[in-house]
Amino acid sequence: MQNCIETNGLTKKFGKKTALKDFDLTVELGGIHAIVGSNGAGKSTLFRLLLGVTTPTSGSAMLLGNDCQSLTPDVRGRVGYVNEEHTLPAWMTAGSVKKFQQSFYPQWNENIYKSVVGYFDVDPKQKVSGLSRGERAGLNLAMALAQSPNLLILDEPTLGLDVVARQSFLEAVMFTETEGNTTIIYCSHQMEEIERVADKLIIMEKGVLQNNSSPDAFVSRISYWIADFGGKMPAREKIPGFLSARDIDGIHHVMVADQDKSFGSVLTQLGATAVTPNTVNLERAVNAFLTKNHNTPGSINAGSQG
Amino acid sequence: MSKTGTVNIQIVTGDARPIFKQIVDGIRMQIAHGDLQTGDKLPSVRGLAMQLTINANTVAKAYAELTAQGLAEARQGLGLFVAEPRQLLSEEEKNKRLNTAIETFVNDVVYLQIPEEDIKARLSEALTKIGRLKNTPKQDS
Repeated sequence: MQNCIETNGLTKKFGKKTALKDFDLTVELGGIHAIVGSNGAGKSTLFRLLLGVTTPTSGSAMLLGNDCQSLTPDVRGRVGYVNEEHTLPAWMTAGSVKKFQQSFYPQWNENIYKSVVGYFDVDPKQKVSGLSRGERAGLNLAMALAQSPNLLILDEPTLGLDVVARQSFLEAVMFTETEGNTTIIYCSHQMEEIERVADKLIIMEKGVLQNNSSPDAFVSRISYWIADFGGKMPAREKIPGFLSARDIDGIHHVMVADQDKSFGSVLTQLGATAVTPNTVNLERAVNAFLTKNHNTPGSINAGSQG
Repeated sequence: MSKTGTVNIQIVTGDARPIFKQIVDGIRMQIAHGDLQTGDKLPSVRGLAMQLTINANTVAKAYAELTAQGLAEARQGLGLFVAEPRQLLSEEEKNKRLNTAIETFVNDVVYLQIPEEDIKARLSEALTKIGRLKNTPKQDS
């Protein structure tokens, strides 16, 4: 079956800096795929490569079955993009912006437009400059979905929206009846949103793909152990799957990836007494992954921090 | 005709339990309390997804799990229904779950300093009540 996105060994360097490294990503058709990564993880570079506006240093990328380096206007027209800015021409009315946009897309679906915009209370006579951020987000989403894209990229679309607009936005993304199969790429740092919307969770860290599975499967990769090493933790290289560790009141809290229940005895062999396994939620699991190559404070004394 | 049951559950994000598991636990609880009875129709996948503002596939996953546990059964083209109570879990699994439940319960009540007899009496009262609810004959509507 054809995939929505397929990259093989995709690498992009800017001078000495590697923005994307040996990136092998497969995104199946359909569903909502969340992408998480710290700032500078390579998300924008990935999108630019996928849309063919920049060329890879090596490797290849396919979008809807086409080589990203030779995309035709037709294929580009099947991709929708909404970013967090929700920029629209301020002097135009909502209705004329929509008419303008519509004229570029012969497959425009007016029913979809109406049903999405209905979540947001956008008055077509109102000037864009008078719309709230939430209304602009809604208008942008309505126009993007009405184009009936095969791929819709939403880049932090709910940033800065109030709770009401955010709720409407999520509902419109998840429950709008679109014709055919729109695959959605959803970039966000909001874990509660990702937990609600995502079929798949793609994690990028420093240009490397770290995970591509369901959020539940990802969380089950991570385990959290509280171990008493008598104040002195063994070298992190000795701990398999090490992600992060903190010293809290002399007890070590260790987060590891891809270890089973027998990991407790690994810790015991390394000299720990009183080992307790713990569960983690999505947010902690993701944070552990994103911070694993960052420096952590050596010791935290909870008492002195109040 | 069986009625469509109302699923009255709340889900929270940021929990260590994934959302699909929260749905499974919530519906199982409603069945245990008799709020959902054998033969009741569960909401459609899309309907429950909209009610909870979550991805429909998450609801589908929860429904698959309820079916696997024997709590619900699919009827071709009609949807998912609360099943005749039967036990599909292995003895080992049942024991494991009972142990977890007891541990949690004991942990929660131990600091209350209520006499053991009182706790036992209340527990047995609650179990009897649930037993009675589950044996209430199903009402057709």
